[in-house]
Amino acid sequence: FRYTRNLVDNGNGKFNLMILCWGEGHGSSIHDHTDSHCFMKILQGNLKETLFEWPEKKGNDSIGLHRVENISHTESAVSLHLYSPPFDSCNTFDQRTGHKHKVKMTFYSQFGERTLC
Amino acid sequence: LPTGLSQWFPALEVLDVSGTGLAELGAELLALPRLHTLLAKNNRLGGPGSLPKGLGQAPLGRSLRVLNLSGNRFAEVPPALLGLRGLQSLSLGGNRLHGIPPDIQELRSLEFLYLGGNFITSIPPELANLPSLNYLVLCDNKIQSIPPQLAQLHSLRSLSLHNNLLTYLPREIINLVHLEELSLRGNPLVVRFVRDLTYNPPSLQELAGRTIKTRNVPYAPSDLPENLVRYLSLASNCPNPKCGGVYFDSCVRQIKFVDFCGKYRLPLMHYLCSPECSSPCSSASQSSTSQSESDSEDEASVAARRMQKVLLG
Repeated sequence: FRYTRNLVDNGNGKFNLMILCWGEGHGSSIHDHTDSHCFMKILQGNLKETLFEWPEKKGNDSIGLHRVENISHTESAVSLHLYSPPFDSCNTFDQRTGHKHKVKMTFYSQFGERTLC
Repeated sequence: LPTGLSQWFPALEVLDVSGTGLAELGAELLALPRLHTLLAKNNRLGGPGSLPKGLGQAPLGRSLRVLNLSGNRFAEVPPALLGLRGLQSLSLGGNRLHGIPPDIQELRSLEFLYLGGNFITSIPPELANLPSLNYLVLCDNKIQSIPPQLAQLHSLRSLSLHNNLLTYLPREIINLVHLEELSLRGNPLVVRFVRDLTYNPPSLQELAGRTIKTRNVPYAPSDLPENLVRYLSLASNCPNPKCGGVYFDSCVRQIKFVDFCGKYRLPLMHYLCSPECSSPCSSASQSSTSQSESDSEDEASVAARRMQKVLLG
């Protein structure tokens, strides 16, 4: 019922390569990438990225904060993501107050097998 | 579509005619008894006769489980599809709907309903009568309020309300115990309500009625005119658990912020008997003090913790 993160490869601990599947109307929270490099490629459909300033103007992450959404009501979208080094938690931000909250990130599937938790 | 369709392919189960420019789905589909999935996205459907007459009674009407009509030109939910009692999944995303018909409750088997990207302004309470609804998408519309009856959708697991015109939510929303996802971004949740709230002071009759009820002043039907006896029987109890008060016609609509560890403040609409019933800092809606947080905890402590996971997940 929300976008899924599907791990493809973990590069001997050096990176996470994953495929994200976005249904119609699915979007992420506003989040950072906890000091990791992030590469992203669209495989199918369209995604909208909205960039946000850091609440206290920390500015050490040059890309900053972003929200990614599939705003289509008719098409799903698929994207490929590479994070190096890998991370399993990040900060999400409330758009109105700027409050941040650390969340653990989970995988819907890993290497083609459904992850249950 | 060719008229011989049901004779040539009687075993057809899935049909995808998306993006073909169709302006109507005709009677040639009605006799397909095994068709359970019909995808007709991004066409020119929407005028009268877009769906074949007698759909609910035809073999197709009994077999259809999934119907996707997103990206068309429907200005109203076509009445013909309300007879599909076996339908489990319906998408009318990206059309031109201005409302949802109360008869939507006829779709007794519906589990998935996608209505995002329309011009819907309000939700009929009858939507809450769908017993199996798991996933409800109402994002990108013009919805100003959610009927409290929606809290009766006990099987609801995901509710998408982002990018609407909501200023508050009914406090009953906390009762959706199976809710795992709730999206609220892009609504004017905080700013608007402060300007719009008004309080009409109670009448002398109301004040007298409240005193009689709260002080347990004894009276018999023979003591009062019949209309006043009836009036006294209509007292409502103030939902604020700290106040033992009652109200009749005059109540305060108050937005109480249920605060989730200072990360997300959800404005829920409460009805209280007087402004004094509200927590001291509720009028200063922007700030969060320990007083309002402890009130919030009293009000819905277990449910609020569950909602916290929903909002921040």
